Amino acid sequence: MTWDAFPFFALPAALCWLIAGLLACRARPVHRLAIELPMLAGLVLFAAFIAAFWHTLARPPLRTMGETRLWYAFFLAAAGHLTWLRWRDGWLLLLTAVMATAFAAVDMLDPESHSIALMPALQSFFFVPHVVIYILAYALFGIAAFAALAQLWRQRTQPADTHLFAFMDEAAHIGFGFLVLGLLLGAVWAREAWGHYWAWDPKETLAFVTGAAYLIYIHLRAQGRTDKLVAWTLPVAFLLLLLGWLGTSLFPGAQGSLHLYS
Amino acid sequence: MTRRIWQFPWGYIESALFATGIAAAGFALQLTVGYFDFYLLHFPANLVALALLLVLIALAVRFENTPFVRWLSGIPCAVALIAALLVLALYMTLTPQLAHPPAPAAAAGLIARLGFARVTASWPFVLLYAATLLALGVTVARRVYDTSRHPSHHTPRHDFAFLCNHLGLWILLAAAGCGAADMQRAVMYVREGETEWRVFDRDGTALPLPLAIELKDFTLEEYPPKLALIDRQTNTPQPEAAPAFLQIDPARPRGRLGDWEISIDEYLHEAVRIDGEFRASPMPASTPAARVTAKNLVNGKTRRGWICGGGNVLGFYAALTLDERHFLAMTEPEPKRYASDIVAFTPSGERIAARLEVNKPLTIGGWTIYQYSYDTAAGKMSSYSGFELVRDPWLLPAQIGMGIMALGALSLIGRGAGTQRAGTRQ
Repeated sequence: MTWDAFPFFALPAALCWLIAGLLACRARPVHRLAIELPMLAGLVLFAAFIAAFWHTLARPPLRTMGETRLWYAFFLAAAGHLTWLRWRDGWLLLLTAVMATAFAAVDMLDPESHSIALMPALQSFFFVPHVVIYILAYALFGIAAFAALAQLWRQRTQPADTHLFAFMDEAAHIGFGFLVLGLLLGAVWAREAWGHYWAWDPKETLAFVTGAAYLIYIHLRAQGRTDKLVAWTLPVAFLLLLLGWLGTSLFPGAQGSLHLYS
Repeated sequence: MTRRIWQFPWGYIESALFATGIAAAGFALQLTVGYFDFYLLHFPANLVALALLLVLIALAVRFENTPFVRWLSGIPCAVALIAALLVLALYMTLTPQLAHPPAPAAAAGLIARLGFARVTASWPFVLLYAATLLALGVTVARRVYDTSRHPSHHTPRHDFAFLCNHLGLWILLAAAGCGAADMQRAVMYVREGETEWRVFDRDGTALPLPLAIELKDFTLEEYPPKLALIDRQTNTPQPEAAPAFLQIDPARPRGRLGDWEISIDEYLHEAVRIDGEFRASPMPASTPAARVTAKNLVNGKTRRGWICGGGNVLGFYAALTLDERHFLAMTEPEPKRYASDIVAFTPSGERIAARLEVNKPLTIGGWTIYQYSYDTAAGKMSSYSGFELVRDPWLLPAQIGMGIMALGALSLIGRGAGTQRAGTRQ
């Protein structure tokens, strides 16, 4: 399975997710299976492509930007589904479905060349958990940022929604746990591969920036603050995260990064 | 009654001023004495600094009921310090950083003189790092002290997460700071069949090293290369904006490049050219070659022939001319795996034979030896191998800190926002 076959999996999967999201947003409630079944079907289809793609490449599909977008779309949809099961926020399910579709669309419109090469530095036990855990954290933080924007929209005219703040806290705390875990796995791996666990490589520096931003949110919320400044922390932190993930290669400071692979 | 600035209890304004003040003091020091010299902190100075830090923390616990200590271990101070470090780190990502602080500051521009040429060796960064260590240390110590006196204040589960997250980070930051002064790194190049014991640091001075390394053999495996459509005029892969490559993959012998459908009829991973013909041979100079058929999808024209990147032998090179604009060529193969079979000798007369690979270092006598480089121009015919040798006596405490942080992270994942219910006292 290569990128050629991707649309045949991604299009139906995205369609399933969007249908589930739209149904979840309907004013008249539908049976929960009408939402959960298409959601699951989309996830299974998408996961099937990732698995088959991995098999064909004979290496984990986590090296290129397009490959990480693949996982991000999957985790965004999965995290959206899980949060719907727990919090029943229809709009969030729709938003994650739209975002996952957007990431899959980028991969469909701009497919990458088939490449089986995996440089020796990436051939490690740590490769898969390090990247997958990071992308999972990114998905949770994406959801937290959406929720924060919804909160800010509400706070223009009304007091803060404590239910929504509780949800933002949940996503931010769990996301931060994954972020730290991904960072530590990266540190252990870096010591194994590059001689030191932390070298202020540009990607590491941006990981530090991202982590610091979420730490600020967590500490502000530990005081129970619910003002707009606190709500703004999450979208800003997510912007910094996106810089670290998608924009590292753009910065003059990052040209020599050991984290640039394709 | 409104509180005036600098009147206790301090809040965010005082905390922001505090962090800014530390940074300002750092900039002043930076301008007068130049970059921070980590060598000043090398053993045993770092132990003394650490002891001093612990004394300060103990003092803070002794006076824990003063408003100052309450503030120092509180959230506004933490947020201000984190934000200040965040700003410095963000600057680091936006501009290229020097690997080592520039020598005499006098000649450099203002940006470099203020410490921005290498932020992590600048006084503002070092002072903010030290302040964070102090504030974080006091926070942990106060919490432990308070729990021991009033166990009812905190639930054990909440305490566990709090302690793992804060103590783990403190240990890691302390060990990393001390390690920055004591760490030694050097690169050693060894020719095949020879033994080397000299290493040089970046100034070219020989470092004493209790190790000698003999390189028995260096081996390199390569991936099958890719094919590309090259413009005959400009010699660049096409399309210009986003070059396309066709991976040679036995599982997928057919593909498309531009208007051409390419099929790989035969692929030799180790080929040599004899009398114009390519033959499989495991000779050292062998290199990948492929016999391909290219069919133009517009006009139906077909071209057949051998393609070879050439490797180290100019005479092996072969490309396939397609039309007046393009030819088909092979990229240099990418390395799949490289390894050095070495024997390491220690002063005690020990001989340790090992195979070094990327991601598979060897630790011996406090030093870790990494496969670092080889002669990339010569590829698998490289006659030498480069090793990086690293010694970090503070690695173990750093790893302990990371382990504790991992427990804290798992606790965050398992309990989500519940981790901080029951709140921090503020």
